Amino acid sequence: MPEFECRLKKYRQLKELTQEQLAQQVGVRRETIMRLEKAQYNPSLKLAVDISRAVDAPIEEIFLFP
Amino acid sequence: MKKSNWKFILILGVVVVLLLAGANWYAITFNDWRLVAPMDFETYEFLPGDLPMWVAILLVNLYVIYLMVLLIRTVIANKRRLAKTKTTRKLDPRLGLLGFAGFFGCLGFWTYSAFHQVYPFIFFSFFGFFGFFYEGKMSDTLMDERFEENRVRADAAAHRVTQIMVFLTLLLVSRGALLGNLEYTLIAVLIVLSLTFAADLFLSEYLLYRYDHEDQLDESGED
Repeated sequence: MPEFECRLKKYRQLKELTQEQLAQQVGVRRETIMRLEKAQYNPSLKLAVDISRAVDAPIEEIFLFP
Repeated sequence: MKKSNWKFILILGVVVVLLLAGANWYAITFNDWRLVAPMDFETYEFLPGDLPMWVAILLVNLYVIYLMVLLIRTVIANKRRLAKTKTTRKLDPRLGLLGFAGFFGCLGFWTYSAFHQVYPFIFFSFFGFFGFFYEGKMSDTLMDERFEENRVRADAAAHRVTQIMVFLTLLLVSRGALLGNLEYTLIAVLIVLSLTFAADLFLSEYLLYRYDHEDQLDESGED
């Protein structure tokens, strides 16, 4: 069960990035981005910051914790 | 390593083995088994007929040293590549077939009954090489933070299982001699410890693969 909501897919598509491109930018595998988008993986603070910079959106809008 | 390099190593090995076999044949047929049968080297005197065996022994040793140098070079190159690219080492999943070498452990039953030798039982630990199959499947994979997390999880789970195996063995063994024979107890401990080591090697690779690939069936890969 996801512990949080992830809006990464929306912001990634707004930036017109593929999962592969985003993965390369933040230095992870494509599978990790897939899991993140499904909220199946809780990222480290560093990865969350890197992703937020890559998609130009604040962390708190990408990852919504209850 | 390139395929041509492997061929060269293999051909060199075959040549060295053939030379050793030829030298053995010469020593047995024309040199009174010298340097083939056990000898007292304190009273040894060189004879010209010993030359083929000495050359063969020298070549075998040089070949082994060459293999060691290659192994060390490969390990260093792998470590450098790992530090540079942060990817898992390149490995052929077919190396998992080496796991069948674990059956050599059964030789221990024969060597124990024939010569009272128990060391072949440790060959059961070669079953752990089955883990190469899963390591090969994860070959050249980027080790990102999710991979590292999964690796820690897999190692922890594998260690937990093997700890339980060792604990249960200790419980059984501490009750006293197995079947009233301390030698049987030693054999049982050797077998269980070897299998525990193999299980640790195998499980950590298998679980890492499973954790990494779990739920991937429903991963649509949408972009």
